[in-house]
Amino acid sequence: MTFIQDVQKLFRQNIREYGIYIAFIAIIVFFTITTKGLFLSPRNIGNLLNATSYIAVLAVGMTLVIVIRHIDLSVGFLAGFLGAVAAIAMKYWGWSSYATIPFVLVLGIFAGLITGFLVAGMKIPAFVATLAGALVYRGLLQTVTMSTGTIIIADKFFNAIGNGFITNIPGIGEGYNWTTLLLGLIAIILFVRGEIVTRRKTQAYHFEVLPRSIFILKLGILSALIGAITWVLAGYQGLTWAEVVLLVVVFIYSFITTKTVTGRHIYAVGGNPEAAELSGISVKNITYLVFGSMGLLTAVSAIIYASWLRSATTIAGTLFELDAIAAAFVGGVAVAGGVGKVTGAVIGALVMASLTNGMNLMGIDISMQYIVRGLVLAAAVIFDVKTRNTAKK
Amino acid sequence: MELKAESAPVVEMRNIKKNFGAVRALRGIDLTVHHNEILGLLGDNAAGKSTLMKVLSGAYIPDEGEILLDGEKVHITDPMHARRLGIEMVYQDLALANNLDVTANVFLGREEVGSKLGPIGVLNSHHMEQETQRLLDRLKIDIPSVRLLVERLSGGQRQAVAIARATAFNSKVTIMDEPTAALSVAAISKVLDLVRELKAQGASIIIISHRLEDIYQVSDRMIILRQGRKVLDSPVEGEIDEFREKVVAYFIGARDDFAQKVVE
Repeated sequence: MTFIQDVQKLFRQNIREYGIYIAFIAIIVFFTITTKGLFLSPRNIGNLLNATSYIAVLAVGMTLVIVIRHIDLSVGFLAGFLGAVAAIAMKYWGWSSYATIPFVLVLGIFAGLITGFLVAGMKIPAFVATLAGALVYRGLLQTVTMSTGTIIIADKFFNAIGNGFITNIPGIGEGYNWTTLLLGLIAIILFVRGEIVTRRKTQAYHFEVLPRSIFILKLGILSALIGAITWVLAGYQGLTWAEVVLLVVVFIYSFITTKTVTGRHIYAVGGNPEAAELSGISVKNITYLVFGSMGLLTAVSAIIYASWLRSATTIAGTLFELDAIAAAFVGGVAVAGGVGKVTGAVIGALVMASLTNGMNLMGIDISMQYIVRGLVLAAAVIFDVKTRNTAKK
Repeated sequence: MELKAESAPVVEMRNIKKNFGAVRALRGIDLTVHHNEILGLLGDNAAGKSTLMKVLSGAYIPDEGEILLDGEKVHITDPMHARRLGIEMVYQDLALANNLDVTANVFLGREEVGSKLGPIGVLNSHHMEQETQRLLDRLKIDIPSVRLLVERLSGGQRQAVAIARATAFNSKVTIMDEPTAALSVAAISKVLDLVRELKAQGASIIIISHRLEDIYQVSDRMIILRQGRKVLDSPVEGEIDEFREKVVAYFIGARDDFAQKVVE
């Protein structure tokens, strides 16, 4: 009896946070049934995650941009342009991928800082500044690809990022990627250990913790989930490098946003810029930092995408920014700023990619797909606004 | 420096003048706050209360005059400098981040760092939560959990958090700008209790308020400003009606004998 009550209480208090997970599970179940299991096949999950990775990386950066009450419309064409720069560097300048990748990352940060300067330094609304940026980067992309059209990338290492799987441990059984299984196991152990340590510490300081039964249930469900995903992926050649990159980005950004002073200051600026400034937090520096990070992640996204296609095209990156913004909102970032999690952004990207993927498998027309995704985006924001209001009362 | 720091007033502002173009906002004001004293600062709109407090909290640089803290002359350059010197301000419009919890707000801009990863400091969250809980307990502030988001708190609770935050870090003097504005009657009495509790624990406070009852209830002394001049500086005493009558007379300029007395 008390267990059921605990669960109910937990859901009532955290409905905003759990909403997206519930929706995600519902979508998975729906497509699994309608595609007779095809949706959950290892090969499809692999494709889905790969196609999500470059948008999810952008969505992580975009979440922070929206948290500090701005927007970035330039990331799509910037990603396209940076991908083209990478391709040109390797094909025409003869650079190795070891030189190209850091160069593109630095270029991305630089582009982000220019946006930061326009927004924080020149006080131009981010919407306008980044719209201008989008036009400029689109022009630059077309300029550098004008004479050649699509630029094919031949570098094996570079192309492995979007297409290659992590190395299997040699010598043991065929059919499964043991590195992936090992990583999954390590992830579960670290997760469970981390949760238990946090719980002990919280109890030591006499703060409220989840009831024991729910805590164990939570650990069980999430461990099983990590295990299941790992198992499925390991059955189909294992983790791709793009997925590894995404996991690293999520890990680093989750850590920074939840555990560090810098993260705290980003949310403070989003919640109340005046209060942050009065507390000695430089709103300007935070703005530069967040747009710089957006630029860096745009470069990461550009590399994954160009690598995945093994080429740079004249239209690469088109509408990435809107997919990233949609993913961020579906993932629970608040329209007014100040609220939004990195993990939410990734789930948001997964939800949107799942919709596309699932409807493709069902053979639904592309025009219908846009409508469905639009409605899901609207529904997600309505849900956010409504639960926010009830939480306040 | 003939006086020792202990016996010198916490704050002494001497002959502060501030003009904005042709507007003479402050025309040479003296203000003293003693240790463990609550000073009420009164005056009609545009009398110069806020300007004077902005000078003390570093938002404005005065054209003339000097400021002494514990008997030592200081030149306050900006609000952060004032804060480092121990001058804390509780703003009327509540400088809190509603999307953060109570702990995060109390420690905003002064987060405790457990370890450092390059330029990035890792938050010492549990210790900050414990300290916040201790602070709330000490000030008898009733908030269910330090992990509650500020947006979930009532107006009175938010004001309590803002005040607790200002007094948490060994401040010398706390300036409260209209701390009871926009609060319910019950919340007002709680905030006033909090002010008394702070005094009982040794704080020195300047409180600006339109509500004469508030000043009457908690202040030891009051200063009344009118058109950029100090028109009264006297202990708060007598019956409430008598007090109110006197204050209003100085407010509107019906009585203006104090300044002359000083000149004589």
